Formats: sequence, structure tokens, C-alpha cells
Amino acid sequence: MSAALLVRVLRDPAQVGRLDADGWNRLLAAARAERLIGTLAFRLDDIAVPDGVRPILTDAKRDTAREAQQALWEADRAGQAMRGLGVRLVLLKGTAYVAAGLRAGQGRFIGDLDILVPRDTMPAVERALIAAGWEWVKEDPYDDAYYRQWMHELPPMIHVERDRMIDVHHTVLPLTARQTPDAAAMIADAVPIINGLYVLSTEDRIVHSVAHMLADGDMQGGLRNLWDIHCLLPDADPAALEARATHHGLASHVRQARRLAAAIYGDGACLTLWDRLARARLLARNGWGQESRKLLVFAFYLRSHWLRMPPLMLLRHLWTKWRKGHRPQ
Amino acid sequence: MKHNITLRIGPATFRIGSAWPQPIAQLAQLYAAYPDVRGAVADFTVRLQPTNLLRRVLRPSIFITGDHGLADAAPMSLAHGLLAAEMGMNLQMALGWRRHLLLHASSVEKDGRVLVMTGESGSGKSTLSALLGERGWRFMGDEFALLDCDSGAILPFPRLVSLKNRAIDVVADAVGEARMGPLLNATAKGDIRHMVPRSDAVARMDQGGMPALLLFPRFGHAADVRTLGQGEIFMRLTQASTNYVALGEPAFTGLTRFVRQVPARAIDFASGEEAFAMVDRLWEELA
Amino acid sequence: MPDLDATTAYRRDAADAVTACILDDLTLFYHHRSGQTHMVISPVPEIMERMADGASVTAQVMHDRLARDYDLGPQEEAIAEITAHLDALVALGLVRLA
Repeated sequence: MSAALLVRVLRDPAQVGRLDADGWNRLLAAARAERLIGTLAFRLDDIAVPDGVRPILTDAKRDTAREAQQALWEADRAGQAMRGLGVRLVLLKGTAYVAAGLRAGQGRFIGDLDILVPRDTMPAVERALIAAGWEWVKEDPYDDAYYRQWMHELPPMIHVERDRMIDVHHTVLPLTARQTPDAAAMIADAVPIINGLYVLSTEDRIVHSVAHMLADGDMQGGLRNLWDIHCLLPDADPAALEARATHHGLASHVRQARRLAAAIYGDGACLTLWDRLARARLLARNGWGQESRKLLVFAFYLRSHWLRMPPLMLLRHLWTKWRKGHRPQ
Repeated sequence: MKHNITLRIGPATFRIGSAWPQPIAQLAQLYAAYPDVRGAVADFTVRLQPTNLLRRVLRPSIFITGDHGLADAAPMSLAHGLLAAEMGMNLQMALGWRRHLLLHASSVEKDGRVLVMTGESGSGKSTLSALLGERGWRFMGDEFALLDCDSGAILPFPRLVSLKNRAIDVVADAVGEARMGPLLNATAKGDIRHMVPRSDAVARMDQGGMPALLLFPRFGHAADVRTLGQGEIFMRLTQASTNYVALGEPAFTGLTRFVRQVPARAIDFASGEEAFAMVDRLWEELA
Repeated sequence: MPDLDATTAYRRDAADAVTACILDDLTLFYHHRSGQTHMVISPVPEIMERMADGASVTAQVMHDRLARDYDLGPQEEAIAEITAHLDALVALGLVRLA
């Protein structure tokens, strides 16, 4: 499994000393597929690598620097669009890590801008964004109704000129999910960062990242999420984190994420059976960058939807998706 | 993956894996004269994989992907596997190359100076570069011209030339059957046949040159030569580049310098002979 | 949306620096902060140049500055045009509301 090679190198970069060309090819393919190539490049900064490898790492670093710059620009644009609304705009995920200068942001791929705003301000936020040039991505009325009725965010919007997406969240998990993190408390305790923009508190950043990885997602891109968590954890006081996670109803998820982060990127941990399955899912990537263990991957896709929606609703959702030719991966 | 090959074209090395042997065997044959790069670290991985498990054997259908891919790329028939591999390499370059500004253009060189030709598919830029490569010019590439943003030089990317429909016979007559690949019938772009560049194009694929003339060819129109404003040239070149935005300021500096320094013309022509005469005359006058 | 009142003040932020390049009668701005290239024509480069000091200006003040060097015609129309340019620059992020 080349994902296993990737996490070994992220844990201990000196391991690359043993790699031949084939090993490098497998490592680079897995790192790209997991969107960890920028992180890998930073980890290998002070390590001797073969001639053909250095330019690839330099390119990856340059790409992530540009991603960070663009993410901050999108945050600036959203802030300007919402100027005068009196709404506290909280940056989430990659953009927040970069804005706050956190280690989790170093070399990270970012992509869409994710923001959190209070639920009762959504109509005003939506209007302000549309006035500033964002528009809906999906025309499909089923998807639109689905997002509005059940999800934790507006349907995705894209800026008509800059071609960049924004996801506006009003809570952390879908309204159908069994856990209901306290989004209002997250917003209230957010900390100001630049030009009137906010990021979540140290503990909430971790809880939010964990919620996305374990309670919401099908763990696609999970190695990158777990790397974020691994980088965020040292900043938090363990007792404060436990208390905050309990408040949000995600204590067991945060504990599992800590075990997984320690097992995969840290000094090891004692894993439960369920942890082992999750680890197998996270490491399901071969030396050509393909997802291996298809059945396990599909099981996680099903599980993620089951976690978010009661079964009958899930059936209706999957049926609608499949009829339109959608398949997981 | 079970079947695979590593190829180097100009500055880029590709590791191509396939679920089927045929595309790899065809690549091995057509790229036989290119440098042997077994055991190299590749810049990109390309994968030709079944659209789903059954489709490996049952009406085999290729999904093209790799380090960089498009989720909604249409699958291709196994009979067009060679084209799929070429498209897979182009996809990696278009989405992932960062060491030069990528221009969707063909290029040829003479006396160390480079003629760059850019235009839409069907403009004749590919055929023109292939034929000029048989008429005293060194062929540098039919698809991508690589602009070095620091030095201003154009670097070669001499992959197989992809010829479509009517261009196939014209070029096959000029270069001979030995350098032609298999005929791929009825692809999404019509009939396609690949041509192996001359050996000097491959032997000198690491040598660039300074751009001396930029042409916007258009095949199938009455002969005409037009000048263009620098603003229009800049816009057309940014539209012909897949990584202008990704490269940031170096691309801005490199491309504006190119536009200010390299003379440019739009040329229309109805036949190859007409095009050769125009190219010779403009090269004489401007380059 | 910014209102179109002539008392609205605009400024250029030092963080929004651009590199300019002139191609024939066009000016290109490379905006470092966004990584975007903008193609503009007169009088936009002239307006940008007169805001380089970072001080806040209204459309009226900009009009007066430009009028020192150019014949702008009827004042009311000229101010409306300058306001439209300033608002377009705000939308691009090259200029900010003060």
C-alpha cells in the first residue's frame, strides 16, 4: 500500500533515503492522489532527494503558495461583499489555517472557500454574495431543495468572474446528522484574525475538522484531514479539548481522531476494531494513486450517508442520484 | 499497474500505466527512438483504467486519468488506446506543468530561432509544423510550445504528431509509412493517425531557441495576412495557455515580454503550398 | 453595493500593489494579491496613478486632479464616469472603499 509509504515518510522524512525510483514514483502518486504533495514537499525541505524529484517538490510548494494567496483573496472578497452587514464571518478549514499562519496550512491544498455564519443571517449573506457576483452552481431543483432542507450549508455558489466556489455553512453537520454541534458557541468564541475576519478557537478548529472527517465524510481525502488534525492537536490543551468536544456532542469522535492521528502520524496508539477499519480505509491507495479495497470504500460511502440521514431518506437520496448516473468514485 | 512504460518528451517524464497491453505496446513501438528512461522518477503518472471492473474485458472502455484528471472525461474505446495515452499525457501537461508557460501552439526552429504557431484545433498549426519539419526546419512540437519565463526561450515538446482526417494522407505521403502509427478510425475527433517526428527533432529535444515570429494560421480561407494589436495577441495567448494563471507573476512578465518582442501575423491559406510561401516570406521579412 | 453619491471615498491599499505593462493603447495590471491580470484603457491607468499615494479620494477630488492635466468636458458627466470607473475598480479589488 503506497498510502502507508506516504504516511511513513510524513512521519519520518528520513525514510526516503531508502527509496529507489519506483518507490519515489509510488510515493509521489499517492501524495498527489491524497492531496498531500505540498505537505510532503515541506516535510522534505532539508532532506537529500534525487535530481528528478526536487523540481516536482518545488512545483508543489509553489502551487500551494498560490493556493494560499488565492484563498486569502477569496476571503477578502467575501469580507468586502459582506461589509456593512454586521455579520461575523468565520473562515473554516484551509483558508483559516493559512490566515492564522498555522502549521496545518503549510503546503495545504485549499480549493473552495468555506465560511461559517449565524443561521439567521443566511438570507442577508446570500443576498450580499449574489450582489457581489456569486451565483448558484446547481440548477437541479432536487439538489437545491436537498441542500436547503437538510444540509448544513447553502448550495455551493461560484463567483461569476473569478470562477471560485464558496460554501456558506450555518452549522457544522447536516441537520439530519445525529450529533448537533453548537455552531452558535463556535461563532461566539471565534477569534479575530485579519481585516474583520475570524477563525474558530483552538479547540473548535479541531472539533470542526474531526466532525468533517469522522461524522460527516466518507473519509475520502481523510489522510489530509487527519494530517490537519495531527498538526492542530498540539495547540490545544487536552482537558479543554475534551470539555469542548463533549459540549458539541463529539467527544467520542475526537477521541477516535486522536487515536488515529497518533497511530498514523504520531507515536502510535491502541486501536479498537473500528479504528482499524477506519485506518484501512484511510490507507486504501496503491502505487499508481488508485483507490484500492473498493468494497471498503463503498461501505464508507454508504456509512457516511447513513450517519447523516435517516435510512428512508437515504434510500430516496441514493435512488435519485443513481438514476442520474452518479456512482461513488 | 500491470502494463506500463516510462517516456521522456522534452523536459517532462511520464509513467504510463494501463489495464491492457495494447496501448503500451503501441507506445513502445512509436517512441522507440526516444531516450531510454527506465528507472527514472516520473514527473507525472498517467493511468488508462477500466471505467469499471467489468469493462476491462467486456466491451473494454478506457477511463483516462492520472495525477491530474477530469472527473467527467468521456471514456474511450480500447481500439483508440494509443490516442488515450497521448491524451493522458497532454492532460498532465495542461493541468500540472509549472516549469514553463504552456502555449497551445506548434513550433519549428531554424538557425536557432523559433517560429511559433497558435490557433484552434483545425487551424492547420499541427499539420503545418509537421510538414515544415520535413522542409528544412527542425520540428519542436505540434501541441505545446513551452515558454521559459526567465530566459524568454521556447523549449521543444516533440511528442508524436497527431494528424486528423485529411491531413493524414498529406503527411503520410511526405514522410513515408515507416514513421506513421496505426489508423484510429472514427474517434470523437474523426480519423486520427500519429506520426513519429524526424530523428533530429528527438535528438535535439532539450535544445530551445529564442522566438522570432508568431503566426496565427487559419486553414481553409482565401490567402490573407493581417497584423494584430498587442492587446489582442496577449489575450489570445492567455487563452491558449492552460497554466498562465497558475504561474502567477513570472507568466505575466514572460508573456508580456514575448508579446512586445516577437513580431506576429494572422495568416489565412487554402493550401499547403500557399502556407509555405507565406511562412517563408514572413520569416524573411520579420524574423 | 457602494452608493453612487459623489461623497463616497475611495483609496488604494498598499497591499493591492500592481505591476503595470503597456501594450499599444492598453494597460495590463498584474495584481499581486489576487494573482489576476486586468486589461484596462484610459482613463483607468490615469485614475490609478493619481491614487498611488494611498490617500482617500472622492470622485469630485479625482475629477479635480485629472482636470489639471486633461480636458474632461462637462463636470457632471465626467464625475459620473469617474464614479463608474472607481466602482468597477472596487469590484475588481484594485481599489477599496475608504
